[in-house]
Amino acid sequence: MTVQINFDSTWQNEFLHRIEEDGPWGSWELYKLALEVENHTIIPEFEGLQAPKHLSSLVPLPHQLEVAKQVVENMNGKAILADEVGLGKTIEAGLILKEYMIRGLVKKVLILVPASLVTQWAIELNSKFFIPAIAQRKSYVWEQCDVVVSSIDTAKRNPHKDIIYNQDYDLVIIDEAHKLKNNKTKNYEFVQNLKKKFCLLLTATPIQNRISEIFNLVSLLKPGHLGNEADFYQKYQKDSRSLDDNEYLKELVNKVMIRNRRADTGIEWTKRNVETLPIEFSKEERELYEAVTNLRGDGSWISSSQFSVMTLQREACSSREAVFFTLRNMLQKKEEPTKEFQEQIQSLIMKVEAVQRNAKAEKALELIQQINDKVIIFTEYRATQMYLQWFLKQHGITSVPFRGGFKRGKKDWMRELFQKNAQVLIATEAGGEGINLQFCNHIINFDLPWNPMRLEQRIGRIHRLGQEKDVNIYNFAIKDTVEEHVLKLLYEKIHLFEKVIGDLDDILTKLDFGNIDDHLIDIFGRSSSEGEMRIKMDNLTSMIQFAEEMKAGEVNAATGNSALS
Amino acid sequence: MQQQEIQHFLERYFHANNCEMIESGTGYLTVQLTIELDKQLMNRPFYWHYLEKTGGIPNPMQLTMITNPEAAPKTLKGETIHFGSPRLHQIFESTKKLAGYIRLYEKHQNTFGQQTPLRPWLGMNVRISYQCDRKRDVFRSIGLQLINGQMVDGFHGKLLELELTPKIPDYSFTLSPLIMPKSGMIRIQHFLQNEIEKEDHTWAEEATTRWQKDLNLLEHFYEEMEEKEESYEIEKIALKEQYEPRINISIINGGLFYLTEDAFQRSIGS
Repeated sequence: MTVQINFDSTWQNEFLHRIEEDGPWGSWELYKLALEVENHTIIPEFEGLQAPKHLSSLVPLPHQLEVAKQVVENMNGKAILADEVGLGKTIEAGLILKEYMIRGLVKKVLILVPASLVTQWAIELNSKFFIPAIAQRKSYVWEQCDVVVSSIDTAKRNPHKDIIYNQDYDLVIIDEAHKLKNNKTKNYEFVQNLKKKFCLLLTATPIQNRISEIFNLVSLLKPGHLGNEADFYQKYQKDSRSLDDNEYLKELVNKVMIRNRRADTGIEWTKRNVETLPIEFSKEERELYEAVTNLRGDGSWISSSQFSVMTLQREACSSREAVFFTLRNMLQKKEEPTKEFQEQIQSLIMKVEAVQRNAKAEKALELIQQINDKVIIFTEYRATQMYLQWFLKQHGITSVPFRGGFKRGKKDWMRELFQKNAQVLIATEAGGEGINLQFCNHIINFDLPWNPMRLEQRIGRIHRLGQEKDVNIYNFAIKDTVEEHVLKLLYEKIHLFEKVIGDLDDILTKLDFGNIDDHLIDIFGRSSSEGEMRIKMDNLTSMIQFAEEMKAGEVNAATGNSALS
Repeated sequence: MQQQEIQHFLERYFHANNCEMIESGTGYLTVQLTIELDKQLMNRPFYWHYLEKTGGIPNPMQLTMITNPEAAPKTLKGETIHFGSPRLHQIFESTKKLAGYIRLYEKHQNTFGQQTPLRPWLGMNVRISYQCDRKRDVFRSIGLQLINGQMVDGFHGKLLELELTPKIPDYSFTLSPLIMPKSGMIRIQHFLQNEIEKEDHTWAEEATTRWQKDLNLLEHFYEEMEEKEESYEIEKIALKEQYEPRINISIINGGLFYLTEDAFQRSIGS
């Protein structure tokens, strides 16, 4: 095969000119330096990365190097990185960014990540990759700095948006890109309108093999590659999951998406020790719980809303403060409350006031003192969070609160306080996402979320790459309550706690059976007897088990690139 | 390039450009730029244009660079330089630009009173880039003696063993070339092209196969459209740019070298 050879002749003309003019001639030292530079910037092989040679303080894992190599060599810098949680997607993105910078192909970079991770991204790029990334704080940063990290919520708002639209980005990196699956959203529109040469979409949630998701994400990376939307959907029904059957689509997805599973990486993970601690209510706590439970049989105001009863039951398992908070809200929100309503609430509040101890809190205190190391407590309720902070302080234990609603700076500050000054971090549910706490290896689940995915996210905060110790998880469950049911029937049956993060999201996405929360509300809220509850629960768990088996079968059958399983 | 190599490189670069080193320590350096370097690096053409028009006193800037933020003083303000940073790329480019053309003479130790003839050589350092959706570079340094047409591969490496000077040494004279530099360059160009054509180009065939596969995929998504949209053509061109195999030869630098007759024999023997 003959290949076209282009010979750059500009040098020659200038050289002849200089001979005629007798100069000017360069210095020997600079001449030699220029060739040394050449030596450093030359890319000696078609395959392989340059970046790792220049990063003395980083030893990337084999699967991370492989991802970076794939993206640079085979995907032309347009890719969805969909590794399971905790495999180091940040490192992969950093490697790719560095590689392109070294090759002189990328200069202007925009990195959009969740607000709570902005600072961490900037720090990691600076310290591990020597990339002077700036966390966006002032609006002039967009124009003046080459590598900017920001949250998408800030970036998509004016005045920022207009400035950003005027920039030509060489590379755009988007973390948590599963939020871009829907092309009707503001976020999608914003990313679509960015001027970008290369683009990396990072997501831990696998593409659910839904045609519309594929169309939308691929269209962000390669606009126009799939033809127009209407024709595409005509050909492949919008909500169909026939992806597996279509060779073209399969090939396409393999061209733009890489997914590593924990099992494929061959990394030794630290162990997970899970201990369930059954706890007895105190007498007054039990009375409160029973009172709340009995509301259901009343046929009165509250039973129309099963959810409220469930909520109150779960809150009663957490703290009296949580119950009180909800009751007060109910009273305030009700327009023209009947006398009966007010009396009922009042009687419940009396029961709340009668409670003097919190059995779980006492257990937590005992455990924390015994562990004598850093501990994270997760609770679903803010009222419980505040109570616990007060309670621990009474017993000389320092703690910091953490909530999803905190501003970025405050999150960073709290994380730092926890690392350096406090023994305990008390986080509410929303605080579970987007914070990495590998320096801690004990978690207390003060109350359990009903969605197993959320539980995974909690554990994923500490059980990730960089965790050097075994991880200890303590689950609190009050005996003979709805809480114990959830724990026993759901979590223990599907062996949730023994699994590593990520397996579960695969399992759950495979099941197209809707929101797990809804199932649980149905089971616990609408069952008229214990027996019915048990049967429904069995159905649910066997569905999950079925999906698991399905998945195991696929893994065995899979060959080569498993991105689509 | 590790961070301390970058520091060392920067020191040599500024030294070679006659910039005064104001301060330097572990992980950082501050230099006073010369007018020429200010113009090359600081990107302020209006300032220099204004100055030249008004005849003011030029005030080139100082530049502080940090190669290791951990080791440099905490309060120091400057640019962080890393391998891959645009500033370092700019300095790399500037190095090549400043030293694109050279003329040097061998500083020989021949005895007094004896006139030594120096033979003209044309030296060219080139980068051959094999490009498709991937890229590979090969560095070649070729020297051509402009009297007898002898060609030497790895020319730069051999030059490094000689002592060279920009001024013609005493008791020396240069021989006139029989081959003109212009035709010398053509000889080198032909030599390289001939060699490349003889190489195995499986890489290009493989790239063409990958290209065709991607084209088929694209075709599939558009096959049922009667009138193909503009985006189809755009995608097609993008694929061509990405995959089409080509070889680019660019010249990094080169020049004229006047060397003694036995320059290379001696260096090999010693």
